[in-house]
Amino acid sequence: MSEEYDVEFVERGDREARFLVRGITPGFANGIRRAMVADVPTMAIDTVRFIENSSVMFDEQLALRLGLVPLTTPPEGEFVEDDTVTLSIDVEGPATAYSGDLVSSDSLVEPADENVPIIELKDGQRLEAEADARLERGKDHAKHQGGVAVGYRHLQRVEVVDDLPEFQEPESQIVRGVVEENGELVPTSEFDHDLSTRHPGKEIRLEDVPNAFVFHVETDGSFSVEELVTRAVDSIEARATELEDAVQL
Amino acid sequence: MMVPVRCFTCGNVVGEHWEEFDERANQGDEDPQKVLDELGVDRYCCRRMLVSHTDLVDVVSPYQ
Amino acid sequence: MSYKCSRCKRDVQLDEYGGVRCPYCGHRVLLKERSRDVKEVGVR
Repeated sequence: MSEEYDVEFVERGDREARFLVRGITPGFANGIRRAMVADVPTMAIDTVRFIENSSVMFDEQLALRLGLVPLTTPPEGEFVEDDTVTLSIDVEGPATAYSGDLVSSDSLVEPADENVPIIELKDGQRLEAEADARLERGKDHAKHQGGVAVGYRHLQRVEVVDDLPEFQEPESQIVRGVVEENGELVPTSEFDHDLSTRHPGKEIRLEDVPNAFVFHVETDGSFSVEELVTRAVDSIEARATELEDAVQL
Repeated sequence: MMVPVRCFTCGNVVGEHWEEFDERANQGDEDPQKVLDELGVDRYCCRRMLVSHTDLVDVVSPYQ
Repeated sequence: MSYKCSRCKRDVQLDEYGGVRCPYCGHRVLLKERSRDVKEVGVR
C-alpha cells in the first residue's frame, strides 16, 4: 500500500477483533467490508465422491455438511484459484464422524474445527468418501466466506455538556460499539451500552467522528482476522491497479 | 437430523459446540443461557440454532 | 443382487415376467440395494 492508514485495535483475538481506522471515507470502509465478505478466497469442499454411505442421511445432505466445514486456507501465493486439495474420510459405526476425521493430502489445508459432527453412525453403518476442496471466493458460494458477521460503525465522541435539570427523569441513552471519550477509546460493553449509567445525572452530547470507523470482524477459522483484513485490502488494491492499467491511454 | 454445521443467518460455525451444549443444558440441568455464553455463542441467530435443535438420528435409524 | 426382500432379507433378481415378488417367501415388498460404484456429488 502506498498510503498509510491509522489503525488502532480495541480488542484483538485470533478469530475476533475490533479495530478503529481513521482517515478513510465511508465508501472505502464499505469496500473493505465487502472485500472481506465476498472477495477473499478460502478453501472449502466442492465435490464429494461417496464410496460407501450406509448412514441415515443422503449423500447430498452429507456433501453439503462437508462443504460447510471451514478449512484452513494456505498462505497467499501457495495456491491459485480453482486449485484442489483432496481430503478423505472413513468412519465405521458405532461412532460419530467428525470434521476432524477428514484426512488431508496437504498439511496446509486442514479442518479448522475438529469437533463438528458430520453424521452419527449406528452399528454396521459406514461412511467412506473422498472430497475435493477448492479455493474460491465468497461471492461464488457462502461456504467460501472467510469473514463472518463483518461490520463497521462510526466512531462516536462523547461529551459531557452539563448537569441534567434537577427534576428531570433519567433517560437511558444506548450506544453500541466503541465510543471516544477525552481521546480515549471505550468499548460500550464496559458500561452495559448505556451512557446514563456511566454519567448519571449529566447531559451528554454524542457526535460522529468524521471518517473514523470501528470495524468488528470475525472469521470462520480459515485464517486469522489480521490475515483476512490484509488480504481484503490487497484484493481492493489489485482491483484498483487492474482498473488503472485498463484505462491507461 | 444432525446439528447444522453453521448458523443459517450469519454463517458462524455452531456445530462444534453442540455436543457440549447438549450434555450440559439438555441432558444436564445447567442454564442454557449460561452455557451458550460460556461457549462463546453470542448472537441470537447462532443461539437459536443450538437451542431449537433436536437430534433425529435415533428416531429414523430403525427404518433403514 | 440389485434387490433384497424386505421380509426374508435374501437377494432377489427381478424377473420381468414373474412380477414383483420374492421367489423364496412370496413377499411383495422388495428393497433396491445401493449400487457399488462411486457416486460423485457436487456441493452447491
